[in-house]
Amino acid sequence: MDAALPHSHSGASEHAHRASFVRTYIFSTDHKMIAKQFMVTALVFLFIGGAFALFIRWQLAYPGTGIPLIGHLLPDTWVNPDGAIIPAFYTQLLTMHGTIMIFAVIIPLLVGMIGNFCIPLMIGADDMAFPTINMISFWMFPVAGAIMMAGFWVEGGTAAAGWTGYPPLSAIASTGQTLWIVGLFIVGFSSILGGLNYITTILNMRAPGMTFFRMPMTVWAVFITAIIIIIGTPVLAAALSMLFMDNFVHTSFFTPAHLVVPAKDMHLTAGGGQPLLWQHLFWFYSHPAVYIMILPGMGVVSDVLATFSRKPLFGYKAMIFAILAISFLGIIVWGHHMFQSGMNPMLGTTFMVATMVIAVPSAIKTFNWLGTMWRGQLDFTTPMLNATAFVSMFVIGGLSGIFMASTPVDVYIHDTYFIVGHIHYVLFGGSLFAIFAGLTYWWPKMTGKMMSETLGKWHFWVTFISFNGTFFPMHILGVGGMMRRIYDPTVYDFLKPFQPMNEFITINAMILGFAQFILVAALIHSIRKGKPAKRNPWRANSLEWEAPSPPPHGNFDHPLQVYRGPYEFSSPESVRDFLPQTTPPEDVKRHMAEHLERLKTAEAPQSDSTH
Amino acid sequence: MLTWLPENISTFGNGVDHLFSLIYYITLAIFVLVNAVYVVFIIRYRRRRKSDKAFHYHGNNTLELAWTALPFALFAFLAFYSDGIWRDIKYSTHAPNPDYIVEVMGQTYMWHVRYPGSDGVLGHRDPALVAATNPFGIDPADPNGTDDYVAINQMHFPINKNVLVRLSSMDVIHSFFVPNLRIKQDAVPGQWVDVWFNGRKTGEYEIACAELCGSGHYLMRGVMTFQGQTDFDAWIDQQYLNAANAAAQKTAQALPASAPSPTTPSHP
Repeated sequence: MDAALPHSHSGASEHAHRASFVRTYIFSTDHKMIAKQFMVTALVFLFIGGAFALFIRWQLAYPGTGIPLIGHLLPDTWVNPDGAIIPAFYTQLLTMHGTIMIFAVIIPLLVGMIGNFCIPLMIGADDMAFPTINMISFWMFPVAGAIMMAGFWVEGGTAAAGWTGYPPLSAIASTGQTLWIVGLFIVGFSSILGGLNYITTILNMRAPGMTFFRMPMTVWAVFITAIIIIIGTPVLAAALSMLFMDNFVHTSFFTPAHLVVPAKDMHLTAGGGQPLLWQHLFWFYSHPAVYIMILPGMGVVSDVLATFSRKPLFGYKAMIFAILAISFLGIIVWGHHMFQSGMNPMLGTTFMVATMVIAVPSAIKTFNWLGTMWRGQLDFTTPMLNATAFVSMFVIGGLSGIFMASTPVDVYIHDTYFIVGHIHYVLFGGSLFAIFAGLTYWWPKMTGKMMSETLGKWHFWVTFISFNGTFFPMHILGVGGMMRRIYDPTVYDFLKPFQPMNEFITINAMILGFAQFILVAALIHSIRKGKPAKRNPWRANSLEWEAPSPPPHGNFDHPLQVYRGPYEFSSPESVRDFLPQTTPPEDVKRHMAEHLERLKTAEAPQSDSTH
Repeated sequence: MLTWLPENISTFGNGVDHLFSLIYYITLAIFVLVNAVYVVFIIRYRRRRKSDKAFHYHGNNTLELAWTALPFALFAFLAFYSDGIWRDIKYSTHAPNPDYIVEVMGQTYMWHVRYPGSDGVLGHRDPALVAATNPFGIDPADPNGTDDYVAINQMHFPINKNVLVRLSSMDVIHSFFVPNLRIKQDAVPGQWVDVWFNGRKTGEYEIACAELCGSGHYLMRGVMTFQGQTDFDAWIDQQYLNAANAAAQKTAQALPASAPSPTTPSHP
């Protein structure tokens, strides 16, 4: 392994076989390299999806005004002669922004990157159960991303039916929509392969002594997420296949009889389909997908908060049961996306009750995080800052969800910017801050280099402030009634007073977007000039910190035996304020006895007892 | 925050707004409380000396129970309270007897509105007859339908009357959104959904489409005018007269006269 890494000890051991460049960096089966591949690919997509968002924001703040600097460089199928985005391109942008951010950024980063990197290391395995499937699972993702992006260069442009792709709009669409369907299908396949691998690995490859209730929350969260993926994604695949057939051979799964589309000079006489069927199938996957995008983040944040509070995670088992409850309830609340869809309003009542109930385990988690910090010794490193922000932002995202859960209030705020504000508090304020926390927390282990705390903190603060400046006012726009996905709010008299707020949001969004270059700078700076990372730079307990930084192919250089849970921080039995899962109890006792002995002989008690 | 809500003019809108503000104040209180505790923790328990150990504590089941039961009670109450208002708005069994029934058909990017003719009866419609020139599929063989009045993006109603809108779409999904009435309902092709409301204040109110229906989604703007009964009666009589005149003119003209195409998007 690591033919190109300077620290490799390739001569020392026969096991350290030299792999080719292609096997090491491109078609690698090493879970850590695959995690890095997910990271790099998804970060590229983060910037693409972010750029789309900024185009959208520009148009909303300054409708019909040319995009500065680059407006004139864009093709005339995207912009008008003034360099302003045209409506057709606007709908493509909003569709692809949502699709890319969800399927090519958040899920790959949380499940692909963190899942891949953490599972084997945290349970003490040398790799995934199926390394080759893992490799295939990764390689489907850039292929799918490229197929979806290719839509921008085909006749009629890319998909323009929103990331939710509601038929009939998506069933009578152009080639770009088909590419979107195919891309999503492949990315779903990639998820399923990943999920199977995670479940198998966690069930079978835990180190001796690593019982289920000694697993860190990140592993628990990814484990349950993988189960949701296995349950939900095939349903999405089925729905996508039907939509594909509707587009190609007019099978009418989702289109009723006598669909007349004057705009396209189309009259479909064959029918029998139901537009609502798609919504049920789509949300049966995509609502659990919201939890696919938040549960691993909750796991990461639990680990980071405990480590930097130097305290055991408050209510470890309650946290696990809360995740289980969320994942179960998450599967039966999909109808809350459809309160105004024409679905039987009695179902609205049912789904409202389930949705209100799912707020309970979310509240439990929040209180337990607060409990974890209570009487802790908080170290505000970059990962801790991001994790702290996660909790606070998740509270806002969770509370704004109550408004939508209440069916009568949803009548008004459904499909308004209130929803846009809510989803971004959950997916950016929640998932993305958790990703930043996880990335900066495990970065030393991934690369063997420390990251600059200065750059990390700059990135955090600028992101945190401009994030709130961008997304909080969207709730107010929603209360004002501004609809989602409209190209020009000034068409409506009742929305005209909100234009200054739209400008304010756009300015903040620009800062938010460009602030992400600080993160890139921090990562590059760390790789080139970062201090070498020790094995356990954060003085944490879980198994990944037993491995060298970065871990070689095969991960651990000594056999592991697990004796306790991952959160034994500040234990009175231990001399130090952390207690690794692998330290044998007799060693802990001996260290303590020696420590007390030293104190006695020294007579004057030393305050610094760590070594 | 809630001052940004547009003026409510519908009967059930008060219930919606009341619930909105109730949830707003409850969530605001929770937000302030949780974040106040959070900020206190962040300041108070920040590490001061490197050697200090934190409090070794794994959790407390009584607390877990308390913060499971309390949110559960709160959210169960909210669900129960919400459901009463929800039934009044959306359950067809709870809708009052309508004084006026009209049909609304969404099309990219406009709203077609059909009023019954002076006979007060909406004529028979046949889905097979739906076309760009006949968005409702009005059956020409049914005399009840020949006098129906069809408008685009304009709706007029008298105040303090129960109005029932039968809603559908001929192409893609739209969503019928009248912010001032606190009503929103998707218009789904192949399906008719009833929406009722009762407006209590005269004036012109905007109708919007809330579901992405294509690149002209933002242009799907209509206007709903609430008038006093006499003004409304005068308005509808005028429309019947205009329609009758137009029909007479059409028959008077030679046969090959082409029908005006309503397919071009109308700009407000």
